[in-house]
Amino acid sequence: MNMSRGESQLASRLSVFVLVFLALYAVFAFVAWRTLEAVRVKGPYYNEIMLGNELIADVLPPPQYIIESYLIALQLMDEKSSAEASRLIETGNQLRVTYEARQEYWKRVLDDSPMKDLMTATAARAALEFYRIRDDIYVPAIRTDDRSAARAALDQMRQRYDAHRYAIDDVVKMAQARNADYEKRANELINEQIRTLVLLAFGVVLVVVVMAWFARRAAQSLSARVHLVSDVAGRVAQGDLTTVIPPSDANDEAGRLLGAIGGMTQSLRGLVTRVKQASVELMSTATEFAATSRQQEATVQGFGASTNEIAAAVKQIAATSQELMATMEGLNAVSGQTADLAEAGQSGLSNLDSTMDRLAQAANAMSARLAAIREEAAEITGVVTTISKVADQTNLLSINAAIEAEKAGEQGLGFLVLAREIRRLADQTAVATLDIEQMVKQMQTAVSAGVMEIDRFAEEVRSGVGTVDRVGGQFGQIISQVKTLSERFDSVNHGMRSQSQGARQIGEAMGQLLDGARQTSVSLREFNSATEGLREAVTVLKTEIAKFKLGNE
Amino acid sequence: MMLALTFRAGDTPLAIDTRFVVEVLPRLSLQRAALAPEAVVGLLPFRQTLTPVVDLCWLVAGRSARNRLGTRIIVTRVEIGRRFVGLLAEDVSELVDSRETIMGLTNPEHPWLGEHLADQTEMPMMVHPSELLPDALRQLFEASPA
Repeated sequence: MNMSRGESQLASRLSVFVLVFLALYAVFAFVAWRTLEAVRVKGPYYNEIMLGNELIADVLPPPQYIIESYLIALQLMDEKSSAEASRLIETGNQLRVTYEARQEYWKRVLDDSPMKDLMTATAARAALEFYRIRDDIYVPAIRTDDRSAARAALDQMRQRYDAHRYAIDDVVKMAQARNADYEKRANELINEQIRTLVLLAFGVVLVVVVMAWFARRAAQSLSARVHLVSDVAGRVAQGDLTTVIPPSDANDEAGRLLGAIGGMTQSLRGLVTRVKQASVELMSTATEFAATSRQQEATVQGFGASTNEIAAAVKQIAATSQELMATMEGLNAVSGQTADLAEAGQSGLSNLDSTMDRLAQAANAMSARLAAIREEAAEITGVVTTISKVADQTNLLSINAAIEAEKAGEQGLGFLVLAREIRRLADQTAVATLDIEQMVKQMQTAVSAGVMEIDRFAEEVRSGVGTVDRVGGQFGQIISQVKTLSERFDSVNHGMRSQSQGARQIGEAMGQLLDGARQTSVSLREFNSATEGLREAVTVLKTEIAKFKLGNE
Repeated sequence: MMLALTFRAGDTPLAIDTRFVVEVLPRLSLQRAALAPEAVVGLLPFRQTLTPVVDLCWLVAGRSARNRLGTRIIVTRVEIGRRFVGLLAEDVSELVDSRETIMGLTNPEHPWLGEHLADQTEMPMMVHPSELLPDALRQLFEASPA
């Protein structure tokens, strides 16, 4: 393998790591130095803060310096307005309260020093004296407008104020000296710290460089042995098992790795020898397997074909029997409908029967009525006959009377006329009776015809009733026969259904058998392909094993 | 005033002068004369004599007179051997005026048919009863003892 490349990889990674570390450290050191520089005394921030303090000190009247109280006292002296005077007095009181509060603060805050003594004892005493005179003498004098007393008090107050001012000036001088001292000390401290920081940085860089050198040496040693191991492993991978690892005296991890690789190579050599023998045996076994499975596959395929045929035949049987069953069911339904229709027809016929009976009764009644009419007509005929006989007699009498009257000559003339009138009346009567006779005859003819019709109708009705009865009986027979037919249909249907079910079951069984055969075939094919795969694998194995060089062959 | 009695023999409308008519009788049940010709219907007991009745329908139309109410016996005053002669005729029902007559045909074989009555719709022919009967019948009636 490429030795220099491995070395450069490891070394370059290491140096990159070191360089990155150094760069980060340099950045850290720079930032720390910049911070220290920024906050040091007389530095930019310090100067800004001090400038602010000075500004405040210049603007505000200092509470510890009683100049304002003194000035107010002077102003009060010349004040004429009593209201303004009261306001000035009140301001003076306020200033005293403020002074005393600040005095307490400074007593608490300051360390014991000559400056503190000067401020809280000397200056404070003069100030308190000043305030006492102002409150006890000066303000009452002003209130009573006693100018001479007030002026005297003001003199005393100025003496106290002067004493106070001298003391305060000393305090200011001492504070300035103290501040200068502190600034000097702070600068010295910061410079010392920066020096320490630089030294520390140099130390760290030195340690890192040394560590990098040691790491580089260890990596070089390790990579040399790793290259040896990888060379051996590469040769083993190429099938060269003849490599002998030189015994290593190093007892570190790399040495143990080399030993393990040597043991592994020897074991591999034994294993490959055994695998070579086994692969030859495996090859012959796989060939046998393939032959057997091919035979079995042929057998199963034949079995599958015959099973397919049987299944198809059984399916046809099942389909045919199902069709037959459907037909039978249809037939059954039709016969049921027929029975229903026949029953309906029978009931209709029974209705018809009763109707016919009523018709026959009506015909009989009508016939009886017509017979009565005929009798009455006969009676009318008798009466008419009598009337016509009377008319005839009258006619005859009138003729004879006329003949006799004529014989009588002139005396009979009136009688002749009478006879003629009588004859005319008789003739009219005869004509009328003739008409009546005709009418009665027509009536009788009509009645006779009606009677005949009714008789015939009644006869027809009677025969119709008979026919209806006969047809009803036939309907009954039809119904009973259709019913027995329906029962037979049911039994046939049942048989067909069980047959169809049996066929279906056979079909399902055949299907299962077929599936089994198909599965067997598929399994055999899979087995076949597996055997083929096995053979191919064994062949590959053999060629692969042939690549291994064994030293003892 | 002259009157004529109308009647029918078969389809032929006829009439007879009422001076020849003794009496008109209804068609009574007649004694059938034994061995008499078919034209002789029978003998009618009339005014203590047996009057022979001749069927005019038979003589004229060759058939018997129909049995109707109008079919009557006209007893005529013919006086053959002092007897009347009855004529059986149909539709004997009307007396008409016989003064207006019209000459018709003169049939030598039937001399009893005379002139037609003018003012009647059917214009019936007048019958001469004295010449009505054929000789055979006449002899038959004359020969019979009174």
